[in-house]
Amino acid sequence: MMLKGKTALVTGGRGGIGRAIVSRFLREGARVFAADITPEGSLASHDDDGSIFVKLDVTKETDAIAAMEQVAAEAGQLNILVNAAGIEIEKTIEETSLEEWNLSFAVNVTGTFLTSKHSLPLMRKAAASGASASIINFGSYDGFIADPGLAAYCATKGAVHALTKAMACDHGPEGIRVNAICPGYVDTPMLQSFFTGDGSGAGGKSIGQLQQAVRDVHPMRTYGTPDDIANLVNWLASDEARYASGQLWVLDGGLSAQVQQMKL
Amino acid sequence: MRLAGKRALVTGGRQGIGRGIVDAFLREGAVVTTCGRGARPDGLPDDVIWYPLDVANADAVEDLAHTTNGTDILVNNAGVQVEKSVADSTDADWEAVIGTNCRGVFNLCRAYIPRMTEGSSIINIGSISGKAADPSMALYNASKAFVHGLTRSIAVDHGPEIRCNAICPGWIETGMLDAGFDLASDPTAARQDALKRHPTRRFGRPEDIASMAVWLASDEAGFATGQLFTVDGGMTAASPLNPGLF
Repeated sequence: MMLKGKTALVTGGRGGIGRAIVSRFLREGARVFAADITPEGSLASHDDDGSIFVKLDVTKETDAIAAMEQVAAEAGQLNILVNAAGIEIEKTIEETSLEEWNLSFAVNVTGTFLTSKHSLPLMRKAAASGASASIINFGSYDGFIADPGLAAYCATKGAVHALTKAMACDHGPEGIRVNAICPGYVDTPMLQSFFTGDGSGAGGKSIGQLQQAVRDVHPMRTYGTPDDIANLVNWLASDEARYASGQLWVLDGGLSAQVQQMKL
Repeated sequence: MRLAGKRALVTGGRQGIGRGIVDAFLREGAVVTTCGRGARPDGLPDDVIWYPLDVANADAVEDLAHTTNGTDILVNNAGVQVEKSVADSTDADWEAVIGTNCRGVFNLCRAYIPRMTEGSSIINIGSISGKAADPSMALYNASKAFVHGLTRSIAVDHGPEIRCNAICPGWIETGMLDAGFDLASDPTAARQDALKRHPTRRFGRPEDIASMAVWLASDEAGFATGQLFTVDGGMTAASPLNPGLF
């Protein structure tokens, strides 16, 4: 029970990775607010898991303020904020409309900004009382190196990386730690969409063949699961990570440790 | 003539990238000395000074530094590569790779730095393989990471008199690249696949690296020090996972 007595809010908390984080936080003894646009998030359905649903469109400042008021009223504190809400537009800049570009930034960057900004009074209060305060953003390995046909996504994740460091600098003195997790390929609805989407270059291959090919490029010979990501989020949220701040934590099965594959 | 009046020493100028740098420095007006194991190579321009040298031999390097009485530009290019994993690497492989790529660079820098004057430039040849791993190149990858670290240390310790930077080439058309492709079950297919992974759709040429070396050696680069300059046709800007190539 690494998070006993802590309160957490997870944006995108009913999505692929968010759901695994919520579930893990609950098992670790935290009180968890799962924030999403709908109770089902990006999946088809949702069974009650003990988390408290918060309706939150991360692009709306009024929603962020209301969400924090709900947390304050129901829990009176917030120790952990996970900014997991994100979208991915699978296009080059030429194909990307201004609306798609703006939406990408609104969700992935502005959403992280707004939710974090309005969590600060609660996080500060937690830190001042001697409890931990940890914000965990979602970057991506795509913030370091590019996947083809994901231009806006890559750009938003690079922005999240820089924002993470800036927030860590600004709010570290207040006792708030800020880190980003940078996942590689993780089995989520977003990844499945990438496999089937027009921009994936499936080239007549079946989804199964494509998935195997993706696994084979990884040194670990597999892509990740949402639980793999939740494992690191849990550690960063816990007191064991009390000296960890301002860092970008790549979790990708070794994918980006290698230069382009040479052997066929 | 951006290097007129400067004296340059390029290690490993017999072939490949080193030879490309020698030729470019000559064109820019430098007085160029190069060295390598064995006799003077055929075809080396007459006005290039050649010394037989094993950079791993500290005494020989010190003698050369004394003989040449320093230099304005030092390019540590000499390097060897062994295509093996850690488990397969022998002590002899360690001596060869670490001896040349690590100790060699250290030997040259230690011998020449005290003899270099204000405004001098050291250029080490690192590699993209020092930042991310090429498979079955364990000692080579590690040796290049050493070069990157040493580059920063020299820049920090020996500025402002001496600038020190590293160039990290990607895949350059040299014998080393062919040796890499020979590891593939189908070298021709591997070469085609690799080309598609380069946004420039071609591999590098020694002159691509040489042009960066000229800039770093020149006074135009007066504020550049302690950095790693990757010249790889955009390859490492992309993920190693490219579904379009499956």
